[in-house]
Amino acid sequence: MGATDTHLGATGCADTQLADRAASSEGASTSGREYLAYFLHRHLDFRLPELESLIEYEDKNASFSWRKPFGGCIYSPFWYLTLPSDGFARQLCSRSMLLKGCFEVWGEGATWEELQHAVNAYPEHQKLPWLASDMTMKVIVDGWGRVIQQPEQLQYLKKLEFIPFKNPVKLAAPQVTFRLIVSNCYSDHGMPAEVPKRFYFTRQVSLCSHRDVIAQYGLPQRVYLGPTSMDTEMAFIMCNQAKVRKGHLVFDPFAGTGSILIAAAHLGAHTLGSDIDIRVLRDGKTASDGQAVDNWSNFEVYKLQRPVGLIRADVHRSPFRSNLEEVLDAVVCDPPYGVRAGGRKSQSIPERQIRDREKHISATAPYFLGECLRDLLHMSAKLLRLGGRLVYFLPAAPEVYREEEVPQHPALQLVANSEQVLSTKFSRRLITMEKVKPYSASDAEAYHEEQGDPRMAIDMLPSLIYEPRPIINGRKAPPNRALNGHTNRSKFC
Amino acid sequence: MKLLTHNMLSCHIKGVKNGYPFKIDPVKIEEMDADYDPDFLRHIYPRLEWPALREAAQVMGEPNLPEEVTESMLQNDEEFLRHFHHALLELILEEGALVCPETGRRFPVHKGVPNLLLHEDEV
Repeated sequence: MGATDTHLGATGCADTQLADRAASSEGASTSGREYLAYFLHRHLDFRLPELESLIEYEDKNASFSWRKPFGGCIYSPFWYLTLPSDGFARQLCSRSMLLKGCFEVWGEGATWEELQHAVNAYPEHQKLPWLASDMTMKVIVDGWGRVIQQPEQLQYLKKLEFIPFKNPVKLAAPQVTFRLIVSNCYSDHGMPAEVPKRFYFTRQVSLCSHRDVIAQYGLPQRVYLGPTSMDTEMAFIMCNQAKVRKGHLVFDPFAGTGSILIAAAHLGAHTLGSDIDIRVLRDGKTASDGQAVDNWSNFEVYKLQRPVGLIRADVHRSPFRSNLEEVLDAVVCDPPYGVRAGGRKSQSIPERQIRDREKHISATAPYFLGECLRDLLHMSAKLLRLGGRLVYFLPAAPEVYREEEVPQHPALQLVANSEQVLSTKFSRRLITMEKVKPYSASDAEAYHEEQGDPRMAIDMLPSLIYEPRPIINGRKAPPNRALNGHTNRSKFC
Repeated sequence: MKLLTHNMLSCHIKGVKNGYPFKIDPVKIEEMDADYDPDFLRHIYPRLEWPALREAAQVMGEPNLPEEVTESMLQNDEEFLRHFHHALLELILEEGALVCPETGRRFPVHKGVPNLLLHEDEV
C-alpha cells in the first residue's frame, strides 16, 4: 500500500465528548455534510458497493450522495460522500473493510499555495471549535502513492503552522486528529497514475477499525480449513454486502469449511450451512498435531455461536419443507464452479438396488453452473424475506463474460456486480441481489420457461483456464499477460 | 443440529407426500448455551411450524412448550420465551436419526450433521 502514517495507533478519540462540539460545528444543516471517503487501494470494484450496503444497513432511508474524486479517476481512493452526520460516518467506519476512514476536508489543492488559500477560506465556525486550547491534537502526514520520509514529514508539519493551532499536542489518544494527505503517485507502482498530485488537509472524523477481524480470523491460524476456504477479508465484505446483523438467519448452501458462516457468526447472526460433500462438512481431518478437527472446531476455538445446523444436502433437491418461505435474512455463498472443486448433484437411477441404506454412498452427477445458479436464485427468492439479500460469487473469464449472463429472477433485483481479477484469464464477480417482490411459483416458472435452458459460457471454464499454450520453437509460449492493465492490481488485491 | 433446523427440513424422496415433520430418533442429545434474544424469537415464530417444534422439543427433553401461543406470551411472557429459546436454539441432536413419517426411511445424524442426501433410487 502506498500510504504511510507517521503516528499509527492513536485513533479512537472520546466520541461522546466530541459529539457536542461536532454538533456545534455542523450547524443547523439537515441536508448532511460532505466527507472525504478515503479508501484502501484494494478490491477497487467492491469499494463503493460495500459502503452503499453499509449505508443501507445503518438506515434504509438515509440520504447520501457521491461526488467523483478530483480528476475523475474512479480508481482514486479520494471519493467525496455526503452523509447525514459525523456519527453516521463513524458507524460506517466501524464495519467497512475497504474504507480507510472518513475525513472533513478543510482545504485541498494542487499546490501548497492553493491548499493554504482553501484552508484559510474554510469557515471559521467549522474550524475554531477544533483548534481550541482545551482540545488535544495530533497531526499525521500521510503520503499516498509514495512514502514520505520523516524529514519531509517534519517540513510539512512546519509548513502547516499557518493554521492557528492552540491545541496541546498529544500523540496517544488525542481528542482531534488532523491528517495532511499528500497524493503523489508514481505511475510504475501499480497505483493508478491518473490520480492527480494533490494536498488535502483534513480533520479525521473516524478511522476504520473493522479490519482487525482479518487477524482475528486469519486463515493461516485457523484450525480447520480447505483449499477453497473463503479468505477472511472477502468473507466479511460479502457479509457487509448482505447487510448481515445480529439476530439474522444467514444460510450458506455451499458451506464447505464454513468460512463465510464464521464471518456471519462474528457479526451476531444465526448461521445455517449445507454442502453435498460430507467429508468437508462433517468429517473434517486430522491436524498436524494429530488432533481431529472439523467445522465445529472453528466455532469452538473462536467462541462463536454454533450454527443452527450444518446439513448434508443437495441444492438441486431442496431439503426444506415446501411451505417454508421468508425465513432467511441472507444467503451468502461461493458456488462450486469446477476450476478447483466442481459441483455435484444427486443422480437418479430408479432401478438401483440398495442393500443397506445406513451405509450406502449416494451416486452423484456433475452439476453445471447454469443449473446450479438457477437453483440458488430460485431457493433464495423463496426463502429470503422481503429486503433480504443473496450474495454470491460468479466465475467470469473476461474473455467470455457477458453482462446478460448474470442470472436473473423475477423476485430478485441486482444491487451490485463487482469484479475481482484473479489472473489474466480468470476473474470472479461478487453478485448482490435483493428480494424486492414476494415469491410466486408461477412467475418463477413462467420466467424460467421463457429463459430456456440455463447454459452459461462459463461452464467451459476449465478448458479456458487450462488451455494448452502454443509451442513455439520447442518451448511453450509465454502466457498472455496483457489485459487492460489489470495485472498490476493483483499485487494489491 | 438445533431444532430450528429440524423445523425447516422435510423428507423429499420422490413421491412422498407427507414427509413432514421428521420424527427424531435421538441417541445423543447435547445442550449448549445460545445468546437469548427475544426479538429473534418473535421474528421467527410466525415462520415456524409450532406443533412440529413442540413435538420435537418433547422428544429432546423440553416438555414445557404450550400447545397454543398467544401474542401476549410472545411479547412479555419471560418464562415462555425462555423455554421457547431453549427448545429452538439450545438443544442439539448430536447422534441419532431423522425418520420420514411416511416411508420410515432413516436419515442418519452423525457428529451433529444430518445426511439428507437421497439415494439414487429415491431421486
